[in-house]
Amino acid sequence: MNRIAQALVRRLAGMAIVLAIVATVVFLIVRVTPGDPAAVMLGSDATPEDIAQLREKLGLNAPLVVQYGQFLWGLLHGDLGQSIFLNQSVGQALLSRAEPTFFLTLFAILIATAIALPVGVLSAVKRGTLFDQIVVTVTMVAASVPSFWLGLVLIQIFAVQMGWFPASGYGGPDTPFGARLHHLILPAITLGVVNSALITRFTRAAMLDVLGDDYIRTARAKGAGEGRVVLKHALRNAMVPIITVIGLSVAMLVAGAVVTESVFGLPGVGNLVVSAVLRRDYPVIQGTLLAAAAIYVLINFIVDMLYVVADPRVKL
Amino acid sequence: MLNRRSFLVSTAATAVFAGSARLAFAAPSDGVLTVAMIGEPPTLDVMQTTTDLVMTIDQHIFETLYTYDAEWKTVPLLAAAQPVISDDGLTYTIALREGVKFHNGAVMTSDDVVASLRRWLDLATKGKQVAAFVESLEADGPNTVVFRLNAHYSPLIATLCSGSVILPVTTLADPLTEFVGTGPYVLKERRPDQYIQMVRFDDYASPEGEPSNYAGGREAIAKEIRFVPVPDANTRVEGLLSGQFDFADSLPVSAYDRLNGSDKSAPVIFENAGWVSMNMNMKQGLMTSKALRQAVQLALNPTDMMMAAFDADMFYSVDGSIFPKGFFWHTEAGIARYGEGDPEGAAKMLAEAGYDGTPLRLMTSRQYEFHYKISEVAKAYLEAAGFKIDLQVVDWATLTTRRADPDLWDIFVTHSNFPGDPSTINTLSDNYPGWYVSDQKAEAVAAYMNATTDEAKFAAWERIQTAIYDDVPLYKVGNFNALAGVAKGVAGYEPTYWPHFWNVSPKE
Amino acid sequence: MTLVPAALRPLLRNRAVVFGMIVLAIVVLAAIFAPLLAPYAPNRLSIVNKLKPPSAAHLFGTDEFGRDIFSRAIFAGRISLLVSLGVVALSTVLGLILGVLAGYFRRLDAPISRLIDAMMSFPDILLAIALVAALGPSVVTVIIALGITYAPRLARIVRGSTLVLREMPYIEAAITLGLPTWQVIGRHLLLNLASPILVQATFVFASAMLAEASLSFLGVGVSTDMPTWGTMLASGREYMSNAPWLMVFPGLAIVFSVLSLQLLGDGLRDLVDPRLSKEH
Repeated sequence: MNRIAQALVRRLAGMAIVLAIVATVVFLIVRVTPGDPAAVMLGSDATPEDIAQLREKLGLNAPLVVQYGQFLWGLLHGDLGQSIFLNQSVGQALLSRAEPTFFLTLFAILIATAIALPVGVLSAVKRGTLFDQIVVTVTMVAASVPSFWLGLVLIQIFAVQMGWFPASGYGGPDTPFGARLHHLILPAITLGVVNSALITRFTRAAMLDVLGDDYIRTARAKGAGEGRVVLKHALRNAMVPIITVIGLSVAMLVAGAVVTESVFGLPGVGNLVVSAVLRRDYPVIQGTLLAAAAIYVLINFIVDMLYVVADPRVKL
Repeated sequence: MLNRRSFLVSTAATAVFAGSARLAFAAPSDGVLTVAMIGEPPTLDVMQTTTDLVMTIDQHIFETLYTYDAEWKTVPLLAAAQPVISDDGLTYTIALREGVKFHNGAVMTSDDVVASLRRWLDLATKGKQVAAFVESLEADGPNTVVFRLNAHYSPLIATLCSGSVILPVTTLADPLTEFVGTGPYVLKERRPDQYIQMVRFDDYASPEGEPSNYAGGREAIAKEIRFVPVPDANTRVEGLLSGQFDFADSLPVSAYDRLNGSDKSAPVIFENAGWVSMNMNMKQGLMTSKALRQAVQLALNPTDMMMAAFDADMFYSVDGSIFPKGFFWHTEAGIARYGEGDPEGAAKMLAEAGYDGTPLRLMTSRQYEFHYKISEVAKAYLEAAGFKIDLQVVDWATLTTRRADPDLWDIFVTHSNFPGDPSTINTLSDNYPGWYVSDQKAEAVAAYMNATTDEAKFAAWERIQTAIYDDVPLYKVGNFNALAGVAKGVAGYEPTYWPHFWNVSPKE
Repeated sequence: MTLVPAALRPLLRNRAVVFGMIVLAIVVLAAIFAPLLAPYAPNRLSIVNKLKPPSAAHLFGTDEFGRDIFSRAIFAGRISLLVSLGVVALSTVLGLILGVLAGYFRRLDAPISRLIDAMMSFPDILLAIALVAALGPSVVTVIIALGITYAPRLARIVRGSTLVLREMPYIEAAITLGLPTWQVIGRHLLLNLASPILVQATFVFASAMLAEASLSFLGVGVSTDMPTWGTMLASGREYMSNAPWLMVFPGLAIVFSVLSLQLLGDGLRDLVDPRLSKEH
């Protein structure tokens, strides 16, 4: 118990260091970026003098060290700063955009896993058959398609021509929750397909790996039913690598969400970053990148914990 | 389906009928208008910024003393009448409409007007330019304000038509936190990147008269308007086609046929929405040479540039006059080296000017796809003339920052609307990026400022345009029409440069 | 474990790998000999010919400037491949340096591993977007942005392999014999790292190609006179419904290139790591 606690503390300290590095890198990247939020805000008629004045007001003329200090000081207090454009704090901005991104990622991973697990397992069991070959080919092609391309095709077919789904957005102020989720179906499919291909291939590989092991042969020799062998013995043991890849996929989905949200005009975190970059909303860029990194670190941590649950032999 | 030509005619016709039909039939509706805009406004404080997006949204909440009618003449909005101008032309006395209420219930008085306009003179880019001419601005009783100028400044009333909005003195702050105006709609909620929600202002006091451009009677027919930011133009098209939006702003011209063929929407063309220009750096670098600027002018073919950018000739016109036909300011005066595209002639000019092959830095962005397309064609023509072109495609934020530094560019591409007053064209200011300083310009602009009659102003404007064609601070590419889309069932929409949604009936 | 031609032979027995190699060869050769193959100059404007569907004169049709899409797609392959190759080279070099340092010198392991963790923790496209915005859109900056983004993937693999290799008897022997460290690393370690790196590099190549397209699509990609498949897709989007050929051909070019790289990567991995070869 004591050793686990020690390991936990070490893990958490490691996470803190990682995030500190991330914070510094993010701050530096953002500050060397050309372009100026003041110029964007003032529009095309602004004179250089107006821009200089607004920069002063926004605190952008302070020395870099001072700005960095303020940024870190704020972070220590859980304050990500104030958006230059949105009339909200970065924390609020992130929270108000968390819903679409969260459900988009959730749906996508559910779709991906729901397809990938059974298909991957089946294809491993029926290795070498036509079904297996089709699965291998299809997953390979699916993993090669740029996701925005797929999204655009889906919009053309299912939103514009069939009219089954809205083409973009996340509904208005009084759209009920269910209808908002309706907006997420096409994006979730777009996002889920590529990851589904990855998880399928991984599941298949992990299952093949396990199915060749001695104890499976023993179980079979003892006369255990094939279904029981596959589900009870093999899948259980293949679960660790599969959990890893699903965890990795969630992290990748967060990145994939950037492109998908942009294609479907979803007001999520990904869109927030892209628009913040385009209008140079420094605090928002910093805050979102940092939050994304924190989520990634957290997911990794959770995945590691799940290992312990899935396989008692694994130590932290 | 209407064919293209008859559609243009019919929009003009409905524009005429829309007003009277509205007065007869339009009743307040419970409907909602969902309007897809090109993005999230950087702020709702229109004194801070002059971007079209902010102007479009804000005009529903805030109002100015004057506004433009269909002939781009200035007519009263919150003012009660045209200003009374003293004989020396230096004192403007403006009477205010009485009993106009703000959204917070307070009645507008001259104190609010003076305080708001002072904030504008202090803060806004245009306001600061006007401030140089303002000796004093005072209230004269509760319903009159008086401007005293230190020199003749004929565009004064035009500048009071946009950006110079009136807010209650109690809400003025920097930055603004309350967005209270006198307009037909009240700001209810702003969720950045999701929507800006406005509801009908029940105590709205409308100006009199037939609707005409921004002027005349305003009625909040729809109970609610939602401005939704949809930065991607194709997503706006698709949202409109799938019935999600009631109106979608600035659509790519390539979408025209789809909108026309759809049973859910119809295209709307706003003619002469603006003009594209290539602005030259006269302070530093290659383009400080007048001969080279003129060579650029001679080399370019505006028709090809506009056709590449705007697809079909129903969406653009090529016209050397800065103001298009139909505008009071349209004139052929001074137009030179425009219209044909003569790379060979330009090559000769280059040789005479001793061009040494220094790359010409042409800066453009894809924020507006037509800027980029025009740049691509310009590059081909300039290269044919012998220029070496360094095409720099940057994002809009970078462009607006870099163009302020004369060290970084030679030409940038931009566009503008047609202002009510020609002297407010950006390039005529000595400080606008490009830094157009010239004696003949300064003399012509001074003549304009001193002009008191329309004839004198027109003559002065002809001199200004002549100077522009000789000095070439910019190359005028052409005029473009704007394409928007309206859902079927939405009635009474009249195209204006900044689309407005009072007097518009939503779908049943 | 080292790669010699004889060791490559089993690759040719795998039909999928052969297919991948052929496709990749076509793409690469087309890019190299683009000036000979392209019927038109890729940037030649012909406004009157704009948005023409595929025909004998224009195999893949023309774009909104009347430029020949077939010619552009061939030339675009140059930049797309160049960018991806640059990303592979940069991320390999960075990954190799970080990975060897962390795996070989125990004292450096903890700090470098934290750095790798930090780099890994950025969602890849977000980091690339921020970097491209910071450095300005160009071929070089996209390479730098994606190279930095993918470096930790290689660094992890290199570190893992180095940790294992370092304990190998012959490396230990070399150390004991007093061989200078740089020689141990250069002569023994790097050679043995070649195959895991090659496998991973193939996948990075594929990812970089997709990422470049995404960046271009988001408007923060390569900006040059020459098109990339990504920028062709981005500008074709506007015409998706009236001129779909603008998006179909560059899209297929990406799909086939990425697919061929993945097939090749799979084949190589099976070869290098026989334990996984039962995948096929």
